[in-house]
Amino acid sequence: MRDTPLSNCERRFLLKAIEEKKRLDGRQTYDYRNIKITFGTDYGCCIVELGRTRVLCQVSCELVPPKDSRPTEGIMFFNLELSPMASPAFEPNRQSELLVMLNRQLERCLRNSKCIDTESLCVVSGEKVWQIRVDVHVLNHDGNLMDAASIAAISALSHFRRPDVAIQGRDITVFSPEERDPIPLSIYHMPICVSFAFFLQGSYLLVDPCEQEERVKDGLLVIAMNKHREICSIQSSGGIMLLKDQVLRCSKIASVKVSEITELINKALENDKKIRKEGGKFGFAESMPKERITTLKREEAPVEMADVKETANEIVNRTETPTEVVSSPVLVAMGTAQVGEGIVNSWGLDEDEEDEPQTEDTKTDDVMVISDSEEEEVVILNEEAQKSTKLSKRK
Amino acid sequence: MAGLELLSDQGYRLDGRKATELRKVQARTSVFAQADGSAYLEQGNTKALAVVYGPHETRGSRSKSLHDRAVINCQFSMATFSTAERKRRPHGDRKSSEMSLHLKQTFEAAVLTELYPRSQIDIYVKILQADGGNYSACVNAATLALVDAGIPMRDYVCACTAGFVEDTPLADLCHAEESGGGTSLALALLPRSGNIALLQMDARLHQDHLDALIEAAMTACKGLSKVLDDVVRQHLEEVSVLTRD
Amino acid sequence: MTRMSATRGLCMRTMMELDQSCSVLREYGSEQSLLSKPDGSSTFVQGDTSILAGVYGPAEVKVSKEIYDRATVEVLIQPKMGLPGVRERAREQCVRETCEAALLLTLHPRSSVTVVLQVIHDDGSLLSCCLNAACMALMDAGLPMSHLFCGVTCAISKEGQIIIDPTARQEKECRALLTFAIDSAECNVLISSTTGSFSVQELQQCIAISQKASEQIFQFYRDSVKRRYSKIQ
Repeated sequence: MRDTPLSNCERRFLLKAIEEKKRLDGRQTYDYRNIKITFGTDYGCCIVELGRTRVLCQVSCELVPPKDSRPTEGIMFFNLELSPMASPAFEPNRQSELLVMLNRQLERCLRNSKCIDTESLCVVSGEKVWQIRVDVHVLNHDGNLMDAASIAAISALSHFRRPDVAIQGRDITVFSPEERDPIPLSIYHMPICVSFAFFLQGSYLLVDPCEQEERVKDGLLVIAMNKHREICSIQSSGGIMLLKDQVLRCSKIASVKVSEITELINKALENDKKIRKEGGKFGFAESMPKERITTLKREEAPVEMADVKETANEIVNRTETPTEVVSSPVLVAMGTAQVGEGIVNSWGLDEDEEDEPQTEDTKTDDVMVISDSEEEEVVILNEEAQKSTKLSKRK
Repeated sequence: MAGLELLSDQGYRLDGRKATELRKVQARTSVFAQADGSAYLEQGNTKALAVVYGPHETRGSRSKSLHDRAVINCQFSMATFSTAERKRRPHGDRKSSEMSLHLKQTFEAAVLTELYPRSQIDIYVKILQADGGNYSACVNAATLALVDAGIPMRDYVCACTAGFVEDTPLADLCHAEESGGGTSLALALLPRSGNIALLQMDARLHQDHLDALIEAAMTACKGLSKVLDDVVRQHLEEVSVLTRD
Repeated sequence: MTRMSATRGLCMRTMMELDQSCSVLREYGSEQSLLSKPDGSSTFVQGDTSILAGVYGPAEVKVSKEIYDRATVEVLIQPKMGLPGVRERAREQCVRETCEAALLLTLHPRSSVTVVLQVIHDDGSLLSCCLNAACMALMDAGLPMSHLFCGVTCAISKEGQIIIDPTARQEKECRALLTFAIDSAECNVLISSTTGSFSVQELQQCIAISQKASEQIFQFYRDSVKRRYSKIQ
């Protein structure tokens, strides 16, 4: 499917509004949209809504042998997928530029910045380490996928708990969550990406562009920072010309935004922890807003099983028993069996034509033995079964 | 890597350079006869080869051509023998795709593409030996190749890497310094106007040091631009001497 | 005597509870129109199993896939971890055939209807939850359908007890797992997908139970649509 293109008048309208410092949804230049973070029932699953952009992230772990170059470190694997649900332009299994860029930026932001202690993921040095797999699915594309993906990834990693392991010599026992409480990952810091979109040859910039603003942008600058004011990665793309002051100004704005967002993530994590401890209900089902008219919930309800057995028996008895379709097996040679006669040989060889009338006469239920072997005795299996079916048929 | 000091007490780095010293840059243009433009560049031990074909008619799908500008098509690859361990997938993996994308964006900003509507310019870059600063060597080699092909550009595009160790910015990192886990910033600059065409940074750096780091990278790029300019002028002299009677 | 009757009462109650727990549909919830980009979207939650569905259609179709007199239905199921595999393809086929039976495809020739399902959490009865989410999303997109459909999963435990809407744990311990898609017009079975071994009697019982359960699900659809359009005069 192709995405609807942006018309020229829409483009002009957007650019003119940006010149007048106005945005489509009424935000200020440096404002973020509403961020909502919800966690699922199992550890390591979270959905982030940035305005209308929705991203799902799931963290899972597996024991694997480590890389040869780093035998004492665990492995982090990132995979971001643009679901075809997110936009009509996204097709499954297509390596588009956007996908490559998002994946690389996510990897750089989270892996190169060493936010997770990979040494603690080692179980047996050189043999078994934990591989942490982060799957990010983009569910709805309304601009600024990079920020939403990075928030989702770091929230899910902070929420995730890996199973506990015990090592005795060379045996590794992995405990299930019921036996021993799972352990959280050791996270040093939380890098979060902030995107700046540049318009009109770099004269105007906007934070957190929505989808239409992204379509008219000239270029993008993504700065990943953590709340300790450390820059984890900078990436400029789109072929814009930047000046050094612009970059420095953006980094200052980014530090403010990142501290706000980190606050939000920590609050959401704490809320979730509190609810789990108190034994309340958690998960996506609970986070569905109840007061909207587009949502509906229904409690558990029993289903009547009263006449089920009778109706079922009726149906079974009513249907006719199918005719005996399966003919008895034919032994062609030792160790083989053939059910049915197969397709009629149409090669027209003389030997087979002589054989055919013979087989038609002897249409008995006995197992036919067509074997040339004179050396071994051919054993007919299920002889008693054969006899008993003969008897029952006679009855 | 423990035990390897990136900056010694006397101010010398692993290969004996001072903090702001660049590696030796040697370059030659017109290395291939059949290409429209080509260049071979060595930056220390990093060796890059760039070839330019174009501007020519858009090959492949007609839908890719733009009605008012030329399309720049870049392909970045590393030779399988370029790194210490044999590279199993020289092109097509995510890192190469990302590099190709960045090169394309850098040169789309620098080349005057409005002069060639409905055409295509192909830039192919290959790293023959990787010793840090792969992206910068590619950009420098591609600049020389574009100049050799006679494609008009706004300015030389010079790229350099910079790092940060113990409050001192280092210019032009080698492989050991890049993979040591410290900060590394790659910057592509148009020296005359001071415009940054591409900025890429990995690993943690405190915000206050960003200014110094970018400054160091920009100075290094400006130094490089002088070297590239010399190479072009020298090549021009050679060619004009040969064609003069 | 009284003590015996009391214990008998207790036994009866526990037996009834057992029966009830087996023939109880879990807590249901759904939300429609939650995504802005797809033409129709819905999320369907059965207990802890949660599926998000997005529908695009009728839309442009690739020339290689177009059918001259009908719309082409495509279904994509995305698992939460890893890449889609053969299991997802099998489920996609089930959902696609159900949608093709329910939608009035001849009204939109040379178009495509794409249904994308994302697994948000899997706690049993995954295929039936996919079917329910797909139906609600198709309703939300306003695609013309001849009848609605719903999915019900039954599990037959090792003792022969039939459990409706099993959780993941019940699914693991059961002997057979049957999923049926039932239509709303005549309560017929549209597709059935089964694993495990069971007798003909058990199959018919499961179908009968599923038909009874589907009545509740269709009532749920009606209620949610009624609620949605309650504000329109």
